[in-house]
Amino acid sequence: MGGVHLLGGNREDRRGRRWSRRRYLAVFLAPSFALIAVFYLLPVILTVLISFTDMDYSFRWNWIGLENYLRMASDPIASKVLGNTLLYVFSTLALFNVGMALLISLVTVHIPERIGKGYRALWLLPRITPSTVYALLWLWAVRQDPTALINWLLSFLGMEPINWLHKYPWPIVIAVNGFVGASFGMIIFTAALKSIPTDYLMAARVDGASTLQVIRHVELPLIKWPLMFVTAYQTLSLLTSYEYILLVTNGGPGYYTTEVWALYSYHLAFAQYGGVVKFGYGAALATVLVILGLIFSIVYWRAFRFRELMVEPKIEV
Amino acid sequence: MRRKGVSRPISILVALIVGILIGAVIGYALTPKTPAGTAASSSGDLEKLRTENEQLKAKVEELTKKLAATGGGEITIKVWTIGPDPPSEYRLKNFQIAADMLNKWLAALGSKVRVKIDGQFFVRPVEWGEYKNKFYLAYKSGKAPDIYLTGHEDVGFLASNGYIIPLDDYIKEYWDTVYYDVIPTLWEAVKYQGKIWGVPQDTEARPMYFRKDVLKKLGWSDEEIAQLPEKVKRGEFTLEDLLKVAKEAVDRGLVKRGIVHRVKEGYDYFQFYLAFEGRLWDAKAGKMVFTKSAWRKTLQWFHDAVWKYKVISPTQFSGDWDKDFHGPFTKGEALFLSGGTWHKGEWVSKGLLTDQEFREKVGYMLHPAGERGGRPVTLSHPLIYTITKQAQERGVADVAFLLITMVTDPHLNANHAVKSSHLAILYSEISDSRYRKEPFLADVAYMLDYTTFIPNHPKWGDYSRIVFNVLRGVESGDLTPDQAFNELLSGIKGLGSDSVIIED
Repeated sequence: MGGVHLLGGNREDRRGRRWSRRRYLAVFLAPSFALIAVFYLLPVILTVLISFTDMDYSFRWNWIGLENYLRMASDPIASKVLGNTLLYVFSTLALFNVGMALLISLVTVHIPERIGKGYRALWLLPRITPSTVYALLWLWAVRQDPTALINWLLSFLGMEPINWLHKYPWPIVIAVNGFVGASFGMIIFTAALKSIPTDYLMAARVDGASTLQVIRHVELPLIKWPLMFVTAYQTLSLLTSYEYILLVTNGGPGYYTTEVWALYSYHLAFAQYGGVVKFGYGAALATVLVILGLIFSIVYWRAFRFRELMVEPKIEV
Repeated sequence: MRRKGVSRPISILVALIVGILIGAVIGYALTPKTPAGTAASSSGDLEKLRTENEQLKAKVEELTKKLAATGGGEITIKVWTIGPDPPSEYRLKNFQIAADMLNKWLAALGSKVRVKIDGQFFVRPVEWGEYKNKFYLAYKSGKAPDIYLTGHEDVGFLASNGYIIPLDDYIKEYWDTVYYDVIPTLWEAVKYQGKIWGVPQDTEARPMYFRKDVLKKLGWSDEEIAQLPEKVKRGEFTLEDLLKVAKEAVDRGLVKRGIVHRVKEGYDYFQFYLAFEGRLWDAKAGKMVFTKSAWRKTLQWFHDAVWKYKVISPTQFSGDWDKDFHGPFTKGEALFLSGGTWHKGEWVSKGLLTDQEFREKVGYMLHPAGERGGRPVTLSHPLIYTITKQAQERGVADVAFLLITMVTDPHLNANHAVKSSHLAILYSEISDSRYRKEPFLADVAYMLDYTTFIPNHPKWGDYSRIVFNVLRGVESGDLTPDQAFNELLSGIKGLGSDSVIIED
């Protein structure tokens, strides 16, 4: 009897604990869920709804079905802009946000700590400089004037001044974004490299591995997850970024030369000389960007097997 | 509550001012028409007018008493204006002058009501697009200005979407005060569906400026230089000739750049299309026009200017206003500048040129015809004052219109025109002493005979954007003239046949 009573009490206790656990979960998750709902879900829903209208500054919900999407499919500029976007995202990613970040991290953890720290701190400067100031510095550096930084330096080699922005718009756009973006990966990779137990590195050295071999066979495999995370995260980040391109080339210097998807959407929705705006078409472009982001997320999730990263470890180390 | 509180003194105030203005007009009418000794034949009329004047005086006295009884109060009128060139600041300052004047009258009449201007004058880096964005967003959040200065091409959109109110009744009421004097073609620019939605603020012409000193160094005689605007008028000096002269100056090392044009999007580029006999507007159909042959020639001209004659820099469109537009021309490093009359005001006010240097070194002409014997062109973009619906809802539309009427004054408007190098909107302004002292304005007045207004069409902004992007592609070398034409045509077709007529 007593046992049954005890058992019943346990069941109630368990039920009570489950209920209070759910309550705690709800309390702790509610603020972040509210934030996501207000600042992400709601704008996405509104953007999708506006994309089915031809809304302009009349702010009228004039439903036109899929017209904006059909127009996008036949818009020759949209296809050019899509090509630009892919070039921009993957070049910046490979050369700077992952490539350069990894290089800096590897170099700076293999040199004396004090120098390494100072060098990494330098790479944080572009990120902490206000966007407009940073963009202006670039514009001053690449202008055609003989006194512009690059032309001034090259003048010592007897070279004629060049309008760098006009001649090499893509390398400059990629560099402008890359110098800012590299620091994110640099911090994560450095932290990951520093968390590798020194026993592994010592053991490799004792076995006669060179620095390059240590990097190739010990360090890189051990920072696999951070590498894949930064690649995925920075792809999504670059896909939606446009502010530095806006400030440096504004999509030019030629015919949509450096116009990327997010900038095209911004131009159509907000930045027309005559104040004629296309919220509907701009929203359709933004919706496609959200879909592209989702597709990339799924591809990365599958290809990089992020599920394995998320599951609880089988043993506690 | 607020509306009720404001509307009574306002209606009394407006009635009072109308009385004063009518009295002033009658007084004015009396003085010049009845010189001493010649009034015998019209003594009956004179007596009648005197009686009317007495009646008005009585009315004013009555209103003054009423106004004094309404107590004090401040009526704030929110005014938004833009340059974006800094010398056009009198688009706003004139309102402050008018409000001061009005307050003095009110004080003299014993009223404690005062009018205050809460004004904004936007200058670069705020450009037109951003200014208009600010307006629509302010309107949407219930903070719109009462008086909004904008380009005439917005009338259709603003009116059809209920942002502004029609002004026909007000204009009729104040017609004899000042509006009879407005140059009639300007009324056409503010009409939409048979109603008047704005009051013209200013207009301008877009000349092709040239450096006389550089032409002299090229071997032109003073007479030849003086004759150039006339030759352009007769169609004897074409856009092709412009390229040739510019090339000669560049080749001989007299200038670094042959021709400079604006560095950002704008409407100026359409002048070249008009010079090649392109049409922009079909008034009968109420549609914009795309003339294929003219666009082909225009694109070829821009391509040749950059890549064949090398007189326009391929980086002009990614340039800077000071370093690539004002600077090279005012320093004598560029021979021709496709600009606007207001640029003269900008150069003088910024100290880039003195008035004397401008007179001695700079000449101005229409944009030459595309082909020999053709018609030269310019383009005008009249700005207008509108009254928002929110002003009406606040109960201050009457006072807002009264202030607009006061700034549409020959003296105040001439002040703006002279300081910023814009053209007169009133006949009497042309004979204003300040205006007459500015020979440049008198010299370019003829250009209005060759002008075109941009179309009052809701999709005009799209047309303009497509053209700008394509021209940027041609100048940068991204597009050949043929590719550019195909891109342009495909973009314009996208606007729909209900908006644009495409003709050969």
